[in-house]
Amino acid sequence: MVDIEKLRKEAKKILKEGKVKYIIGYTKSSQNFSASPVFITKPEDTSRLIWNPTCVQNLVKFIVDDKQKQCKEKEPDERPIGIMVKGCDSRAINVLIQEKFIDREDVYLLGVSCEELGVLDEKKIAKKLKGGKIEKVDFDKKKNIIISTKDGEVKIPIKEVLAERCLECRANFPVIYDTLYGEKVEREVKEPFKSLNQIESQSFKKRWNFWAEQLDRCIRCYACRSICPMCYCDECVADSINYAVTPETTAEEKAQKIQWIERSPDLSENIGYHLIRAIHLAGRCIDCGECERACPVDIPLRLLNKKLEKAAHELFDYDVGFDHEKPSLISSFKDEDPEDFIR
Amino acid sequence: MTKDFEPKIVAFLCKWCSSAGSDLAGVSRMKYPPNVVPITVMCSGSVSPLYIFNAFQKGADGVLVSGCHPGDCHYIKGNFYARRRIALVKELLDFIGLEPERFKMSWVSAAEGTKYTEIIKDFVKDLKPLGPQKKLRRDL
Amino acid sequence: MEKILTKKEFPTWIKNLESYHVFGPVKKETIWEYEKIKDPEKLDLNFPNTALSPKKIFFPQREVILDFNKNNKGEPEINESLPEKKPVVIFGVRSCDAKALTLTDHVFKEDPDDKYYLRRRNQTTIVGLTCNEPPSKNCFCTSLDGSPHSKEGMDILMTELEDKYYIEAITDKGKELIEKAKDVSKNPSEKDKDELKKVHKASEKKIKRQIKGLSKITDKLKNMFDSSLWDEESMSCLKCGICTYLCPTCHCFDISDEVTSSSPLKGQRVRTWDTCQFPYFTMHSSGHNPRPDKASRLRQRILHKFYYFVDNYGDYQCTGCGRCISKCPVDIDIIEVLEKVKDYE
Repeated sequence: MVDIEKLRKEAKKILKEGKVKYIIGYTKSSQNFSASPVFITKPEDTSRLIWNPTCVQNLVKFIVDDKQKQCKEKEPDERPIGIMVKGCDSRAINVLIQEKFIDREDVYLLGVSCEELGVLDEKKIAKKLKGGKIEKVDFDKKKNIIISTKDGEVKIPIKEVLAERCLECRANFPVIYDTLYGEKVEREVKEPFKSLNQIESQSFKKRWNFWAEQLDRCIRCYACRSICPMCYCDECVADSINYAVTPETTAEEKAQKIQWIERSPDLSENIGYHLIRAIHLAGRCIDCGECERACPVDIPLRLLNKKLEKAAHELFDYDVGFDHEKPSLISSFKDEDPEDFIR
Repeated sequence: MTKDFEPKIVAFLCKWCSSAGSDLAGVSRMKYPPNVVPITVMCSGSVSPLYIFNAFQKGADGVLVSGCHPGDCHYIKGNFYARRRIALVKELLDFIGLEPERFKMSWVSAAEGTKYTEIIKDFVKDLKPLGPQKKLRRDL
Repeated sequence: MEKILTKKEFPTWIKNLESYHVFGPVKKETIWEYEKIKDPEKLDLNFPNTALSPKKIFFPQREVILDFNKNNKGEPEINESLPEKKPVVIFGVRSCDAKALTLTDHVFKEDPDDKYYLRRRNQTTIVGLTCNEPPSKNCFCTSLDGSPHSKEGMDILMTELEDKYYIEAITDKGKELIEKAKDVSKNPSEKDKDELKKVHKASEKKIKRQIKGLSKITDKLKNMFDSSLWDEESMSCLKCGICTYLCPTCHCFDISDEVTSSSPLKGQRVRTWDTCQFPYFTMHSSGHNPRPDKASRLRQRILHKFYYFVDNYGDYQCTGCGRCISKCPVDIDIIEVLEKVKDYE
């Protein structure tokens, strides 16, 4: 059991001692069913921190945002930031340290273990409720979620409405932390990449039909990129319009910048954008599922990244975010790397 | 019945080995299908997934990436990085349903003119039954 | 003109509309989207609200403005590319989305008028659908001079009554469309009319969220440009742009030239959606960015919707559809922000 009081006490302590400039955590949302991110600057406010399976967001993105903001400040505030991290989120921190985007000392990690559970999937719950609207959400001691709707209460075992990624999770407790809350429960995951099975068992034609239909809906809102903690490039190569310019950039330079992927959201460009993003996240994506959660038109984006995670695991014996001393996937190689596809 | 379909192959050849190998094939007057558009890059490790994707988007029916044999790279390690990166690109393209025969990688040294012609001959033979590549092509 | 049409006969009405392009909500796994209907059975009026509003039919995500190419003399040729001339019907438009169209009309009708948007708008008949149940718990149309059965912006209003639809014509275009259902519809009875009034009244009471005192908020906003409220409220913003992409009244766009073939040289000038929430939206070519941080962008969004638009056109640029609240990944709630503005000292 995660002792939330202990977490709050620790949060209060580090704020009082001035160890961190603020704490990023989860609090109860006033309107929505899942928890909201909250920025706690005053020690008294630490009582707002909560922990339960509705804490879906990956808060590491805010660390990235802060770092980018401080880089542009004349007098940057480089004090560390306290942050609540789940297992997956802690691996995101590891990847950022591995890539030298942040230093270990820049964050104070309040690690929470998901124990046998994980986080909830709003869409799965909506399916179970068959259109009923959630008014209140409670958890009982027997690992059930009790949802109150207009028509009464529904009790569902949490395991039935866990996010897909939690069912395949091989890191259900933080791998890097300053203080840990909850127990490290080893979970046996029989099929670590199960969500890919459906597509991988299909013919190439069927696979294409599936992806063409899904990616046709994409409106190129770039929410998936904005919410991903690993997409921190100022100039995104997949968005040719946002190239940064300075007063010194000549007109010729601006006219000749290559547009790899156009702004237009037609199928070919959408596929280009998502494939390039997936490749750029190879060996860096920790499957926090935020891209899929944010997508307004419900495209199953995490499958693309999961496929590359599986390739990294099976072909190169590489697991993302467990060790920040190791070199990253594509900036390293082994002599035994498979060559069977090369003539 | 329309004229026989001639696939268009875009080949990214590393300057020090594969491109030289293709030159050797030419100088030795070896006959091989003219379906290739060769693009010389400095090293197979410099081939970005963007180039590959862009080639398919502009209508390439097949894409070949070719570099020096492992251990012979002019820049020491470039082809090792390419080996990893191209493996990942291949996995992803397979996953979304692009026919695996359309994307190939090879090691061709500067002395392997014959090997280069064999690769192209076989590539064209594999592509002909598949027809033009319409999936990633941008048709407006 | 008012008619009753049973749900069973509804596909027949659609089948009689061959001279129109028919659009309606279609279920796509977990969401609904407006699509061109070929099979009337696919049109699903049993939906909360679509993910994207019908503004995308008038103001598409990708609009070709002109084609350019190099002719064989080496000279540039430019051809205008206007939308196809064919009447269009959109079924299942909620009151908030229909009202939003009257708001975007202000912008696109202004001089120089936007012929792409206007051609589509003038040839389209909008068939609205009353929200018997609020589509989302974040709906607040009643706070913005709207209601779940408002007829503003529509040509026809349909209301679901058990197993039939009560159809009310609002404009001549609407009457023309209802004529096509002549053989399968009948006149409403007194009981139907009573039932309609009951459903409409009940629908208004079901809207739970309210924001009162909007004129006071507009006044407050006039002096809040430098307030620190924007920093506090925008802390968790991820600049993802979802709020503006899903908003039925947001209309910012970007124009870019795309070369589609290099030999022969051909290309298109396209207009695509853009959003003030992207950091580089206001990037000048000199490199200066007047809205470099999240606070200024959130401020822009709120001020534009509840102050600048009121100044320019006399209307709030929001119809209370609630999509921005429901879909924001970090729960930034426009109603909460407005309440804070109201109470700000």
